[in-house]
Amino acid sequence: MRFYQFILKNILQRKTRSALTIIGVAIAVTAVVALIGVADGCERSFRDLYDKRGVDLLVLRAGASERISSTIPQRVGEQLRQLPGVRSVTGGLMDVVSFEEANLARVLVHGWTFDSGLFDELRMIDGRKPQRGDNNSVIVGVVLAKNLSKKTGDRLEIAGREFTIVGIYESFNVYLNGSAVMLLPALQTLMDRLGDVTGFEVVLEDSPNKKELIDRVRRQISDLRRSDGQPWGIEAVPTADYVKSTSQLQMVKGMAWMTSAIALIIGAVGVLNTMIMSVFERTREIGILRAIGWRKTRVVRLILYESILLSIAGAIIGIFAAVVLTRALTMWPLVNGLVSGEVSAQVIVQGVLIALAVGLIGGAYPAYRGAYLLPTEALRHE
Amino acid sequence: MSETPLLRTERLCKTYPDGQVNALVEVMLSIRRGEFVAIMGASGSGKSTLLNLLGGLDLPTSGDVYFEGQSLSSMPDLDRFRASKIGFVFQSFFLLPTLTALENVQVPMFEGPLSARQRSAKASELMKLVGMSHRLHHRPPQLSVGERQRIAIARALANDPQLLLADEPTGNLDSRTAVEVLDLFAHLHRDKGMTLILVTHGQEVADRAQRIIRMRDGRICAEERTSSAKLNVATS
Repeated sequence: MRFYQFILKNILQRKTRSALTIIGVAIAVTAVVALIGVADGCERSFRDLYDKRGVDLLVLRAGASERISSTIPQRVGEQLRQLPGVRSVTGGLMDVVSFEEANLARVLVHGWTFDSGLFDELRMIDGRKPQRGDNNSVIVGVVLAKNLSKKTGDRLEIAGREFTIVGIYESFNVYLNGSAVMLLPALQTLMDRLGDVTGFEVVLEDSPNKKELIDRVRRQISDLRRSDGQPWGIEAVPTADYVKSTSQLQMVKGMAWMTSAIALIIGAVGVLNTMIMSVFERTREIGILRAIGWRKTRVVRLILYESILLSIAGAIIGIFAAVVLTRALTMWPLVNGLVSGEVSAQVIVQGVLIALAVGLIGGAYPAYRGAYLLPTEALRHE
Repeated sequence: MSETPLLRTERLCKTYPDGQVNALVEVMLSIRRGEFVAIMGASGSGKSTLLNLLGGLDLPTSGDVYFEGQSLSSMPDLDRFRASKIGFVFQSFFLLPTLTALENVQVPMFEGPLSARQRSAKASELMKLVGMSHRLHHRPPQLSVGERQRIAIARALANDPQLLLADEPTGNLDSRTAVEVLDLFAHLHRDKGMTLILVTHGQEVADRAQRIIRMRDGRICAEERTSSAKLNVATS
């Protein structure tokens, strides 16, 4: 017999309690992995939105914490295009609308120029893209179309005005799949933001020293002036920095970690309770083990390994449940334009590490108690 | 020059603070290597307390126990001492019910240097020694009380101890089974040279030992040699 077999037999001997402890840890790990996984997925999807198009810089109103709240005059684009090292500049307007009848509270609507390269990123699965002057037309992402139960040719009321759906697209990006796109003038008129864009996406020329180029262009953009010599009040932010600093994402991540911390504490208390009860019930057994020569350290290992093993079993079930839950979330209309449904390996590793911590914390005190039981007193225990 | 006793006590006292019970009062005792000693006395006379102190399961309030001349109170690791030098046999057997007989015998060996395969082989040998080879894979609840005590004895021998301490080992056994277990102790003593200290209420059990130490109110009140001792002397 090996030591681990002895531990396994102890766990299997108390099937109900072991199962309940595993479930407790599994719920905690599910909460952690799913919540952090969703937050992580949001950030990844958001970053992909820019990375896959090779966008180096986002030009926004200086100090705007959200891209959506930024407003810049569209004519700034001409100045940006003339800067050395800039390959392309794409301006766009973005706003948020709701479709209450479909229970969709926050749907992004994008306004792009008819010749914008952004349209090339969309794969039309039905209908066509808007053409020049198509100001009463809209195309919707595949997820939004499903949520709204709309198809090509249907009418769609956006912010009080009716549009015709001329196509349904699919994008690599989960956000775009849950959004609608129309021509820039149409959205500017609809939202009463004539001549404005939310920002510009800037792609720079290839360079052996890209970082230096980015820094140089950023400085040049900050120095751009209006015709009256006043600064535009705009800033260029590298896409990775922008994604990380987005306050809503930070809030989502903060909430995820906070909820996870609570789940973890509950999980650790569950393991602690189980292991304390286990030590109490097995007082005499521990006394026997100590009497026949087991050292304190072996008793500590016995109890800690048991709690860690229970936690790892909980982690495996919890991670599986989290992956299923995250996938299921993508089918929920309210969030399926926001959640990617993928849980990264990094988050799974975090889940396992957290479960190990729960096992260690939950097992530490009972292990200490068990090890320091006096053999003679333990043997008298009924 | 006289031989160093295997075990010796020096003014051994044990007082339990709750109620100020003097369980042991200045007990002086010496056990030779290879000796078979029975400790007798009424309930509460201190015999089990003495056994616990001799085996390093508990610490004295004052005085000391010397094993091969070394003080137990100065030993840095009493666990190691128990694991390597002492075998315990209890009245209630104290086997682990979820483990098979063979596995129970292996439990003390975790502290030793043997591999899993070696542990299993040694446990099988010990099961053979106690006449339980046919019950290797039975769990304690599937065995008779006599068989359980034999397994407990095999477990006590797991780490080749120099001293076997048995606290009322026949207390839960019927008279026929008790004789079988005592025969096993006698075999270990006579044929294996094992030093044995056995706590008992029963005169018939004590008579199997070479020496009987009688206790009353925490003190040794009498010591006597038995006919077994004469027999052993005669045959040695």
